[in-house]
Amino acid sequence: MAHIPDGILSAPVLIGGAAVALGGVTLGLRSLSDRAIPRAAILSAAFFTASLISVPVGPSSVHLLLSGLMGIMLGIAIFPAVGVALILQALLFGFGGLTTLGVNTVNIALPGFILAMAIGPIIRSSHSSAMRAGLSALIGALSVLGTGGLVALSLALSAPEYTPVASVLLATYLPLALAEAFVTAAVVGFLSRVQPDALSLATGAAAS
Amino acid sequence: MMRFLFIALASLALFASPANAHKLKVFATVKGDHIAGYAFFIGGGRAQGTKWIAKDASGAIVAEGTTDMEGTYDFAPPNPASSDITITVNTQEGHIASAHVAADRLGGTSMHTPQTGSQDNVLQTSPANPAEAKPQLPSTSQLEPMIEAAVQRQVEPLLERIEQMDSHMRFTDIISGIFLIIGLAGIGLWARSRR
Repeated sequence: MAHIPDGILSAPVLIGGAAVALGGVTLGLRSLSDRAIPRAAILSAAFFTASLISVPVGPSSVHLLLSGLMGIMLGIAIFPAVGVALILQALLFGFGGLTTLGVNTVNIALPGFILAMAIGPIIRSSHSSAMRAGLSALIGALSVLGTGGLVALSLALSAPEYTPVASVLLATYLPLALAEAFVTAAVVGFLSRVQPDALSLATGAAAS
Repeated sequence: MMRFLFIALASLALFASPANAHKLKVFATVKGDHIAGYAFFIGGGRAQGTKWIAKDASGAIVAEGTTDMEGTYDFAPPNPASSDITITVNTQEGHIASAHVAADRLGGTSMHTPQTGSQDNVLQTSPANPAEAKPQLPSTSQLEPMIEAAVQRQVEPLLERIEQMDSHMRFTDIISGIFLIIGLAGIGLWARSRR
């Protein structure tokens, strides 16, 4: 799904993806404070494990991405978190590939990062729990659809015969987007009640 | 937050039985003059109603079609043994996998060499009981498909099993991945504290 294997993408797409991913990882690593490192590691481990639980849907099988949640809690540090988990998935399980690492990192991390940057501040300042749940569900669902779009785009740009068919994409990504929306809303709702602090980016105060 | 995430992570790890995985694979086997097989997600069911395409070494399309409800495909290569054949399955949403069938697995010229050898063996043992052996000895052309079918029947489950084991995910891999991430976090904290 979001793990594009080796040997399919063309060189410009691979290099472009790697460059964006490298930029994101560098910025993300710089933003990491002492408080943010364990948080990034735990979310990275959650993402690493979540992709092992896959559910058959139609012709494919899907798994949670958690990119919306990571975007809300990590900000730009979502890039190193996703990158590390993808390296380990490629090395240990053979998901995706090492050459496509950059593209896959961007495909998963970028939608979560952008959406969380746009909507995240509203969630943090909102006092209505329904509002928070709704907005974080929106981030979760849209980041999955964004990932689907980016995967389709990177395949279409490099190998036209592998271009995903829109109807198949929708059939597999729509149920996933709904599941992702529920999970993101549930986790954000829980954290905002138990530890609202966890939703704010841990980068500001301690960043060097 | 940490405790909640740890619990969530632990429950995820519990659910992630080694059978669950997320990768498309194509299994291919030679049945007589056919190539047959299926596309499957490791532990996650078959790829149903999915387009497949078979190409020879030069990239020319040999056959194509759609997998059935069991994810299987079956075709007869028009010119066996002329070249290796690659079967690619594309779920049309980003999952692409292919299987490779080497030319000498297809009943072609390269298969004939061992078969003449086996015929020699039959002839060498037959003088021990010439009266019985000679009339019952089937011709090579009859024997060939029979042997091939018998061997294929016996070997196919093994090939399937090997293919699955090859891509099997081990619990130790999951655990080591998680701890590698924790280790990286530790390295990061240590590096920051030295500054």
